[in-house]
Amino acid sequence: MERLGVFLCTGCGIGDALKAEGLTALAEELGAATCQTSPCLCAPETVADIRAALESGTIGGALLAACSARAKTEAFAFDPARHAVGRVSLREQVVWSHPAGNEDTQMLAEDLVRMGYARLSKIGLAKPLAETIERTVLVVGGGLAGLTAARTAADLGHPVVVVEKAAALGGSLAAVEGLVPDRPPYDSLHDNHLPRLIAELTSNAGVRVFVSSTVKAITGQPGQFHVELVTPAGEVTLAAGAIVQATGSRPYDASKLDRLGYSSSPNVITAPELDAMLAGGGLKRPSDGAVPQRVVFIQCAGSRDPEHLPYCSADCCTATLRQVATIHRAHPDVETAVVYRDMRTPGQLERFYLAVQQQPGSLFTRGEVAGVSGNGHLKVALRDTLLGEGTVLDADLVVLAVGLVPNSADGEAIRIHTDAVKRSQTGESEVQREEAGKVAAQYAGYQGTEILNLDYRQGPDLPTLRYGFPDSHFICFPYETRRTGIYAAGTVHAPMDAGQAEEDGAGAAMKAVQCIVAAARGEAVHPRAGDIGIPDFFLQRCTQCKRCTEECPFGTLNEDAKGTPQLNALRCRRCGICMGACPERIISFPDYSVDAVASMIKAMSVPEESDEKPRILALLCENDALPALDVAATRRMSWNPWVRVIPIRCLGSTNIVWIADSLSRGIDGVILIGCKSGDDYQCHYVRGSQLAQTRLGNVQETLQRLALEPERIRVVELAHDEFARIPEVLDEFAATIEELGPNPMKGF
Amino acid sequence: MAAIPTLLPSHDFREALRRRGGEAASRCYQCATCSGVCELAPDEAPFPRRLMLWAQWGLADRLAADPAVWLCHQCNDCTVHCPRDAKPGDVVQVIRALVIEKLAFPGFLGRLVGAARSSWPLLVGLPIAFWVVLLAATGHLAVPAGLPQNWAFEQLVPHLLIYSVFFPAAGWAMLAAWVSGRRFWGLLTANSPGKGSFLAGLAPALGEVATHKRFGTCGAAKPREFGHLTLMWGFVGAAVTSGLLIVGIYIQHLAMPLALTHPYKILGNLSAVLLVIGAGVLVANRLGGGVKAGASTAFDTYFLTVVVLVITTGVLSEVARLSLTAEFALAVYIAHLGLVLCLFLTFPYSKFAHLLYRSLAMVHERGSQAQAPSA
Repeated sequence: MERLGVFLCTGCGIGDALKAEGLTALAEELGAATCQTSPCLCAPETVADIRAALESGTIGGALLAACSARAKTEAFAFDPARHAVGRVSLREQVVWSHPAGNEDTQMLAEDLVRMGYARLSKIGLAKPLAETIERTVLVVGGGLAGLTAARTAADLGHPVVVVEKAAALGGSLAAVEGLVPDRPPYDSLHDNHLPRLIAELTSNAGVRVFVSSTVKAITGQPGQFHVELVTPAGEVTLAAGAIVQATGSRPYDASKLDRLGYSSSPNVITAPELDAMLAGGGLKRPSDGAVPQRVVFIQCAGSRDPEHLPYCSADCCTATLRQVATIHRAHPDVETAVVYRDMRTPGQLERFYLAVQQQPGSLFTRGEVAGVSGNGHLKVALRDTLLGEGTVLDADLVVLAVGLVPNSADGEAIRIHTDAVKRSQTGESEVQREEAGKVAAQYAGYQGTEILNLDYRQGPDLPTLRYGFPDSHFICFPYETRRTGIYAAGTVHAPMDAGQAEEDGAGAAMKAVQCIVAAARGEAVHPRAGDIGIPDFFLQRCTQCKRCTEECPFGTLNEDAKGTPQLNALRCRRCGICMGACPERIISFPDYSVDAVASMIKAMSVPEESDEKPRILALLCENDALPALDVAATRRMSWNPWVRVIPIRCLGSTNIVWIADSLSRGIDGVILIGCKSGDDYQCHYVRGSQLAQTRLGNVQETLQRLALEPERIRVVELAHDEFARIPEVLDEFAATIEELGPNPMKGF
Repeated sequence: MAAIPTLLPSHDFREALRRRGGEAASRCYQCATCSGVCELAPDEAPFPRRLMLWAQWGLADRLAADPAVWLCHQCNDCTVHCPRDAKPGDVVQVIRALVIEKLAFPGFLGRLVGAARSSWPLLVGLPIAFWVVLLAATGHLAVPAGLPQNWAFEQLVPHLLIYSVFFPAAGWAMLAAWVSGRRFWGLLTANSPGKGSFLAGLAPALGEVATHKRFGTCGAAKPREFGHLTLMWGFVGAAVTSGLLIVGIYIQHLAMPLALTHPYKILGNLSAVLLVIGAGVLVANRLGGGVKAGASTAFDTYFLTVVVLVITTGVLSEVARLSLTAEFALAVYIAHLGLVLCLFLTFPYSKFAHLLYRSLAMVHERGSQAQAPSA
């Protein structure tokens, strides 16, 4: 942008702490078309004046030197398709956090204006996408979660397609007599509403149901998915805007639980087998068909066991309560004993637990099952019971509350397998082919596990996280998967009970609808909701290195045969990880580019070595670190005045050239602050901090070659709530830099 | 180590518990809040958590053998604090009733009194009817003619008749209590180191009973402690008066009725005052004490009612003798004799038996402490 106007606010204490005339003089020096000072820049009249100046073309862009870009977003709301507006955080980053009337404080303010000006002069306007968007929601899986998702989407006025692999809808709870209560007083079984829900959906003209059907292929992107189904009536193709994957789970293989006797006695059954038994003819002892008098339930069968399922399956406790209640309803004289490690009945289900506990003939005891012996008549040996001793329970029937295993497919592992198979045939050398063959064999188990069959460069299904669940960070973004527009719901998503699965289905459907609405407006979904800028690839200079297609956490980029990236803009979350990855620096967003940030770095004033004023560049992730810095400033915490902050979309968008530029300019240190990585990652783009670590690890060698201390670059992970740590982190880094002495490249 | 026992959670016991008012036991999820708030629970064997657990499993044998059942004075702090409303205080009360029934000799009498909810007319009516029949048969059902102004009850009902009924009745009650007491002591000593320490524990336990020291420790049960202590000493006083009167009649050859100023008479009347006050406090507490007073089971109410009626008819007999007609006095006196007989005969089976079991539990506890090696 050219002909920039600089608008300086002197309110909120800015005018008291800083010399406004110094800043206006700087604006003139920078060549601003206009520079105006206001005691209250956010006043509607002032904003209207700025807007009018932008509309009339008097100025090409407006730099608002006032408060943080995270503050007063409504007062300073400008249309990004029409107006280029930049913000400089004088209030939070300067006057609230640094001493007033101080030389260093003034230098900091002036630097931030220089950097903001440089950025604004490098950015352009976004061109919104205008695509035809399909409103249909595709639901894969017709169990409780899937059907609830289907109903929610239908209720919101969207056409729905339900695909179910089995011959009938309903999933694992279809034939269950009563469900765990979901409303007050939570003390007795509710009638199973699944049959009603199925009837309602099958008679709804807006809902198409395909049973005994599977997904053959899905191509395209959110708002424009092209879906091919295999149905009993042949192949069906249809369009969908978003997808809910509710493929549920399967019971853990009880025959792996040796000591629980599943393989040695017919009278040891699993909870799903008991459900089937109760639905089809009632409670019977498999060995002789008699009604068992004593039924023992063993909880955590396989769950919370490092040798089997390390996680809590979340459903078994409430499912057992449901089964005990069902048995007592039909057979008041049958005694039941539930052996648990911890009864987990979240929320109001505690009341249901209490009600079941109070039924005559119902016993609950904590304990570890040492073993189940016997064939017809069984003995369940317990240790560490609440009695403080071991004991043996007599049983006619033992029910294993087996844990659940998600019906997910690990898209990335499948991709590794197919790639390896291909390489093992077409590899250039014998060694390469042999290596590829080994990998293919290792991943052979993933062959044929595809569910969604996505045409994505990164694999045909949702990437999975821990334990094979395609989950994401529970608190920060409960429904997001790593494929935009595809949401997991129910027990495939995470271990959960029936009530939670219903809520999950409804939530996923709402996310799907939200995604379709955002796609129709050309906007990004979470977390840069509303962002209309899309990345631009200057493909003439692409070297087909495939870093962008591999590193994009959301599978946005496919490849053509040569390996050139192919953008699917509606899959894009605008994190800029591709931009950080690209060694040729050919990827940029209208308002965020390698060049824009590099020009900010160049705009920083770097005093001479003799001034004894080191300079530190802090690249802060806008999701956690920047808000944390704002909170610290709001609390009037203070940090080293040598630090210059540049907000970035994600640590993963850091291009190595920024580091190189900084050091060659004589900047003494660079610190990158991003979100937590690892299994409990909080990175909004999943892998940003991790990628930054890897890239900077590569830089360290270069530094050593240049005789620069590796300590001059640091990556820190910090959560949003750790605002109190951020001044400490910055001060401590500044102290380290001071100790190292000035950057020897200064002045070159 | 003994082989691990196979536990069959006892359906019968759990049903009995439910029927007798302890159904809340099944609500317990073993958080141990009850043991935490209990002032009386010993550190090394805290109750009532464990009792709740055994009650859930229906482990009647363990409950019968555990002194903790009797060391509880039911202040109901546990019931007040229980987060799940499992009412441990009430449950332990029902457990005590079930233990009395389980250890009763002969068993059918234990079951009969245990079923006081329905058997009470028989339990109260039969002794009264017995006295009516006995007096009718011996020609004492009417007030004899020419009764002097200052008459004595002996002139209506001869002492010999009273001895011939109450000595065997007391003997029987003692025998039944002895058998049950032996059973209980055997259970207590079977699994504990306090074996053979009866004598060591006796004196401290009796001291504790006499002062109700532990009852007083028990949280907010102060009014109940006062009532119970007063009532107990009233009964002791009444018993001592009875003994002194036998001495007075047969050794000192005192003329009946004694003057109101006679020391024996003063002791007797003082005991009566204690009994009235004690019973009054206990009844008031039960009626107005809310959760703290605990639930009133039929078993409980039956015993308290008999005690109150014994006291009422006793006092009323004296009042009637002094100021009302002899006919009325006789009627009240017959009821009194019947009720006292009822109290004697059901002693080993009713709540009255707590005297036996609680004392033994305390003796056992104190005896174990006396024997335990000092640290």
